[in-house]
Amino acid sequence: MILPPGRPLARLLGRIVLHGAWIALALAAAILAGVCIGETAIPVGTVWRTLANKLFDAGHALDRIDQGIVWNYRLTRAIVAACCGAGLAVSGVILQSLLRNALADPYLLGISAGASTGAVLVTVAGVGAGAVSLSLGAFGGALAAFLLVALLARASGGGVGPRAAGQIVLAGIAGSQLFNALTAFMITRSASAEQARGIMFWLLGNLSGARWDNVGMAVPVAVAVTSVCLWHARALDAFTFGTDSATALGVPVRRVQALLIGCASLATAVMVSIVGSIGFVGLVVPHAARFIVGVRHVRLIPAAALMGAMFLIAADVLSRIVVKGQVLPIGVITALVGAPVFALILVRRRPAR
Amino acid sequence: MMLAAHDLGWSARGAPILRGVSLEVPEGETLGLIGPNGSGKSTLMRLLCGVLKPEAGEVRLAGEPLARMSRRRAAQWLAMVEQQAETADRITVRDAVELGRTPWLSPLRPWSAEDDAIVAEALAVVEMSGLAARDWATLSGGERQRAHIARALAQRPRILLLDEPTNHLDIHHQLSILQLVATLPVTTVVALHDLNQAMSCDRLGVLQHGRLVALGKPQEVLSPALLRDVFGVRASFLTDPADGARIIRFHAVS
Ligand SMILES: Nc1ncnc2c1ncn2[C@@H]1O[C@H](COP(=O)(O)OP(=O)(O)O)[C@@H](O)[C@H]1O
Ligand SMILES: [Mg+2]
Repeated sequence: MILPPGRPLARLLGRIVLHGAWIALALAAAILAGVCIGETAIPVGTVWRTLANKLFDAGHALDRIDQGIVWNYRLTRAIVAACCGAGLAVSGVILQSLLRNALADPYLLGISAGASTGAVLVTVAGVGAGAVSLSLGAFGGALAAFLLVALLARASGGGVGPRAAGQIVLAGIAGSQLFNALTAFMITRSASAEQARGIMFWLLGNLSGARWDNVGMAVPVAVAVTSVCLWHARALDAFTFGTDSATALGVPVRRVQALLIGCASLATAVMVSIVGSIGFVGLVVPHAARFIVGVRHVRLIPAAALMGAMFLIAADVLSRIVVKGQVLPIGVITALVGAPVFALILVRRRPAR
Repeated sequence: MMLAAHDLGWSARGAPILRGVSLEVPEGETLGLIGPNGSGKSTLMRLLCGVLKPEAGEVRLAGEPLARMSRRRAAQWLAMVEQQAETADRITVRDAVELGRTPWLSPLRPWSAEDDAIVAEALAVVEMSGLAARDWATLSGGERQRAHIARALAQRPRILLLDEPTNHLDIHHQLSILQLVATLPVTTVVALHDLNQAMSCDRLGVLQHGRLVALGKPQEVLSPALLRDVFGVRASFLTDPADGARIIRFHAVS
């Protein structure tokens, strides 16, 4: 391969290393905070020593229980929260850019509901029932939901465009309701009481089940989706003036749409299959990130991923400490933040003239 | 031929919008497209730049079929200023113009000082340098139009397609944009509303009900008979004493 003039490329690499470094640091700090803070606070030193023991066999003397809590519960939980936050936020960025719609979000568009249905279908039908088949089921459900909602929005005259803002959100509501009903139907029909309780608990959005095998799934997906999206940052920028304009700017629109919507669905599906559906992350975080770094996707995507990760870790910490002795569903926290932001966007999008 | 359309046809939901349009634009020419509202000017432009796929016929760029070029390469050849392209994003004028560099960049060919220079020049050409940092939402219609033109220029195309670029512009900027288009060393196809402005094109194509009904030198094309048949107006021709140019004055057919 012939590399283009070296200077800009070298500068680009420099920037990637520099920004990558501080983003990784910020992420590590957020995860550390997520591990330490809880109903019983764990000193940072204990966390360090646990990590040293587990990763490098350092052999520090530690309380077995503390070490177990840090390694098997708090750490996995924080990492999965970070991945979910990043994945959902990046999905939100993708959907908002491609649909030219400030209100697009995996949850509002019914993609999360579709993913839940797919995952529940796999669970009650007992197909494999491993983490992978669960995610695959969720992925199928997510894609089906997106297609249904997109078709419905188009049929209602909205299609994909600036005037379709209301249409696609309405279609999303219809889609969510439909898929939630399907999920409820399947649970009542086919799940045992035991299964049903487990599923309902998971559906509300719950991180307490996050273990290392979930980490093994969530991390690669979050990293891959963010990277693919970042690779297409310029193409996403080119949608600023709509799909025709993107075509005229040399973007293979259909291919980019299919790939990136696929990415958004995959991220949503995998996260939903691990933690249930958590609303508003994909809506709130991209807007907050835009507010800070602007609309250009080269900066927006990493910013949204980082802020999404931090937001969900913070929401998880809050959900554990707000009510003494109880863990709130994390979706409650994100909705408490998200609903007002949603209202704010609605008000701000009121036609100017 | 720089740009050639052969027997183009396109329809929407079974209704033919454009039929049997063939035209050739040699390098450096400015071809004007005129026709009443709904005659198919925008549709033809969208076919020429590949935003729409023709149902019949084909478009060729310097002999090569557009349909076989990658989108990216096609965009390195041609730039399009659409009739309406709006955004609710909070971008600045410079952001909008920088989009023009999209077909020349890739993750491995990042933004460089050269791109900065091209963007600055494009802004200067449309007299928008002073507004580069302004929010898109605060621009007037004419300023947005000029920014779109700058975006197309930043694309460094060989062929420029402009769909009614002088809409929204004040008279000073109408004239300066048309003059700019005439002096740019690129091949240009421009849809125009003002028939007097169309007189300054090298050649004119006239669309009516989706067919190209005339193609030739402005003086030959804009005859009283054609103006009556296609536009439904009576025309008298005056001569500007300043430079001897022909001016059309329109009257309703009574
Ligand atoms: N996507 C479409 N669907 C249905 N009708 C269309 C579509 N695009 C254009 N038309 C119709 O085709 C005709 C020509 O449109 P257009 O090319 O925009 O004309 P012009 O630019 O000359 O005013 C109009 O009657 C318009 O309503
Ligand atoms: Mg038009």
